[in-house]
Amino acid sequence: MVVLWKRGQPAPGTRPLWDRRRQTLLVALLLCSGGSARAETSNFDFSGRIYTKYLYGNDDSQGALWYGNPFWPDDIAGRNGVATEFEMTIKARVSDAVQAGVRMASRYGELWQDWWESGNYKYGQQVNTSGDSLGLNHASYMKLRGAWVRWNPELPLVDLVHVGASDMGTWNAWTIGRIRYIDRDNGKGFFIDGHFDEERSWTWNLGAVALPKLWVGPGWSSGVGDPVLKNPFWSRDWAYAGKLTWAAPGARVVAIGTMTQDLEADPADPDALGSLYPNCKDAGGARVPGCYSDHAVDFYSRFWSTNATLEGNFDPLEHINLNLLVGFAKQRIDPRFASNGVAINQGVSPVVFDDVSDGAAKLRLDIEDAVADGLKLKLEYFNIGQHWNAIFGQRREGDVLLTDGLVEGGQLPTLNLANEFIDFDEDWYESCIGWHGGTAVTEYAQGPLDVSAEYTFLSYNTNAQRRDVDKIYPDFLHSDGFTDTDLYSYANPKNIDRGRDPRSVYRRNQNRRTHIGVVKGRYTIDVGRGLDLSLKGKFIRDEDFRSDTTYDDDYRGDMATLRAKASMPVSDGVRVAVGGQVDRWGEKNRAGTLETGYGNGTTKKEKIFAQLSYDFKGVRLKYHLEYIHKDLLRPRDGDETWKVWRSKATLEVAW
Amino acid sequence: MSHTQLTHRIGVLTVCVAVLLPAIAFAAESLFKLKDPHGDDKGPGSYTYPTHAVYTRGSFDITSFEVVDKGSDVEFKVAVAAKIEDPWNSKDWDGNGFSLQFIQIYIDTDHKAGSGHTGTLPGIHAKFASESAWEKVVLLSPQGKTKLQSEVSAKAGGLKKSVIIPRSTRAATHTITGVVSKKVLGEPKKGWGYQVVMQSNEGYPAPGDLLTRKVNSERGEHRFGGGNDGDCDPHILDILAPPGSGGGDEKSAQYKALSYSCGARMAELPMVYP
Repeated sequence: MVVLWKRGQPAPGTRPLWDRRRQTLLVALLLCSGGSARAETSNFDFSGRIYTKYLYGNDDSQGALWYGNPFWPDDIAGRNGVATEFEMTIKARVSDAVQAGVRMASRYGELWQDWWESGNYKYGQQVNTSGDSLGLNHASYMKLRGAWVRWNPELPLVDLVHVGASDMGTWNAWTIGRIRYIDRDNGKGFFIDGHFDEERSWTWNLGAVALPKLWVGPGWSSGVGDPVLKNPFWSRDWAYAGKLTWAAPGARVVAIGTMTQDLEADPADPDALGSLYPNCKDAGGARVPGCYSDHAVDFYSRFWSTNATLEGNFDPLEHINLNLLVGFAKQRIDPRFASNGVAINQGVSPVVFDDVSDGAAKLRLDIEDAVADGLKLKLEYFNIGQHWNAIFGQRREGDVLLTDGLVEGGQLPTLNLANEFIDFDEDWYESCIGWHGGTAVTEYAQGPLDVSAEYTFLSYNTNAQRRDVDKIYPDFLHSDGFTDTDLYSYANPKNIDRGRDPRSVYRRNQNRRTHIGVVKGRYTIDVGRGLDLSLKGKFIRDEDFRSDTTYDDDYRGDMATLRAKASMPVSDGVRVAVGGQVDRWGEKNRAGTLETGYGNGTTKKEKIFAQLSYDFKGVRLKYHLEYIHKDLLRPRDGDETWKVWRSKATLEVAW
Repeated sequence: MSHTQLTHRIGVLTVCVAVLLPAIAFAAESLFKLKDPHGDDKGPGSYTYPTHAVYTRGSFDITSFEVVDKGSDVEFKVAVAAKIEDPWNSKDWDGNGFSLQFIQIYIDTDHKAGSGHTGTLPGIHAKFASESAWEKVVLLSPQGKTKLQSEVSAKAGGLKKSVIIPRSTRAATHTITGVVSKKVLGEPKKGWGYQVVMQSNEGYPAPGDLLTRKVNSERGEHRFGGGNDGDCDPHILDILAPPGSGGGDEKSAQYKALSYSCGARMAELPMVYP
């Protein structure tokens, strides 16, 4: 018997995806079966991945995830522990037109010390030595993360039908964003791709996506947990999307339109579960006009939103690239079906609690090698309306603006950012809703030298006086001071004061403007296997005159950061790096209120770190060790000191 | 310092940096620039892109190849038709600012039959004619040096001395550039031949492949289509075709060069001698 190993369908290369062609197991299985191989199984990918993380710091929390979920206390988060995750992906070609795949992964959270944990809770949920005390989070059970079927229906103008899991990469950050990496197979829907002409200059995409019940909507849900709903109804909540692309040499235009719809049953309908009038009579026994049972339930929209963008990318001349994006966003909330998260949740809400709409525009010009060889000039203008929001937009791992921003990770046009379920060495993302300004970047690259300089000026469409942050506009509770992403705490207690929540774009009184200057350089010295030296300096002046009734609350913050790093390969597959960072922040009226007055703050922070990476025939090890010393000097609120050691190592193999 | 003063100072500083940067320019001389026709990113003429949205049209379509003398270094510049994106955030995996492309530049330094290598690196599945055998290959990969060195050692150990990993690799809007020290490459001479092979970066490739993405008969979410399910087809999206002037006839020359017959004939890559 000859077993032909034909086609692979491994996943995108640069990410630890787990689809490696593996014929060994298949061959073994076939040999063991001693018999005939079915033709369908000859196209079969079976791949796996083991990922182990070591996280240790000098505090007494237990777990292997630096930041967990701040709302539902996540019992896997903690700064000391080792945990392992296993993933398995199976992909197959069912026929020459049909492909299918599934991915399974073990639940991450069982520490190596958690012997015998079976996923049960016993003895009143007390942690004990039974091995049955911590629950499923600590049991490493396997979960189906996603399944999909994709086929070419061989119909005119239709290229592909995809049903099931998708990372939503078809759309964009302003509409339906690509799902964050760890959730990449959780989103599911129906998708059709096609074209209009043989050259495929015109292509189209349609999609219907099941809304995640957990985060797209008021209160980060599409009804679940909302106290005004007796029967949260999420199974009919969907998003719809369409995309039209025109592409030609030197030009590409993309139009995207999306809509989210969160439906709830009419509580006055006598056929609805938990109806106010199950017998069509009011509390006094009187007949409710127009009420009758027809064994069908009427629905209303709890939350509805639409986002649309038109983006063009052009190369008018050889050295010039022009990118233009315009967008429109609109939302409607029915307060009969949605609790006011701004009012009842201390201003922590992913939506403005009102029917609002707004636009956004971005224009970017890149000029390369026009003035001098290796010299680039990048200019960007952006104007994002104060009421723009992409509720289903990209939550992290993306960046829609050129600027380095106030935090380094990236800027995204949504209040629905996801800065949880990350470790201390991962990027942070901030909301750019309301940002209006421009960025100029010059980059120069010659030989082993790369240098760049940025200047950004920001004003804010969210500047306003006496804004209603009690009932309409979410201020995320903490809206003042530079954000310390090194030592962040979601609770922001007074003894930590980590600064502004990156989602906090609205304030009661704001008259703000910001200057950002960044200089970066990298040079590779031709010694050994090449010594890379990199340097980054950043300065921010952030001013907010706050209330127009007094000068006493005016804020001014100056933030300076300098970071240096040296790294070098020391042998094949082994690289070491060392570096350090110094921060000096001076903030007048950093935090407080009009009623209680404001206190100043001075931050002095130093960080040193060492890194090792090791790649050897399929095994990949990374190690990061750092020490942070921070003094937060606050004459009014008391000084605080941090002396934090922390380390993270990952070991990964995929096959 | 007042707001106006600050704005003024930062503005002046930015302008100064912009003006001064070119002044520290290294001596540069373009040795040659070859062109490649638009729309020939189809391998032997039949290949199609994967279905995932990150593979935007033109991402693997070579439009030009330039070699620049920078004194002690040589820059290799490969331009593609589409804007170069970084959808997989290469900085998260110590990468070089782009995600999709993986370019191999084969160099024939002596143009002698029987001298050099006729086979390509693992995962490409093509060969060179004996008189066009190559002596060096420069890799322009989004992967960081550590990963690249490890992969080369593991999968192309016999060719390791001929593989050059640039001191620095970077991406601009349409161009990927690799900087190679002359200590490693030697002084580029007239008469050297070049071939640019366009592939796609696959961080977790099949066991024998050197970071290359496969081409199958049917395209998949992250697999090229239009080829063969075995590895008898060249896993190449685009190459240069002589004379490298970008004429339409170079499309058909490429398709012919990359044509193959499973079990009978492997695709044979031409060298371009500028």
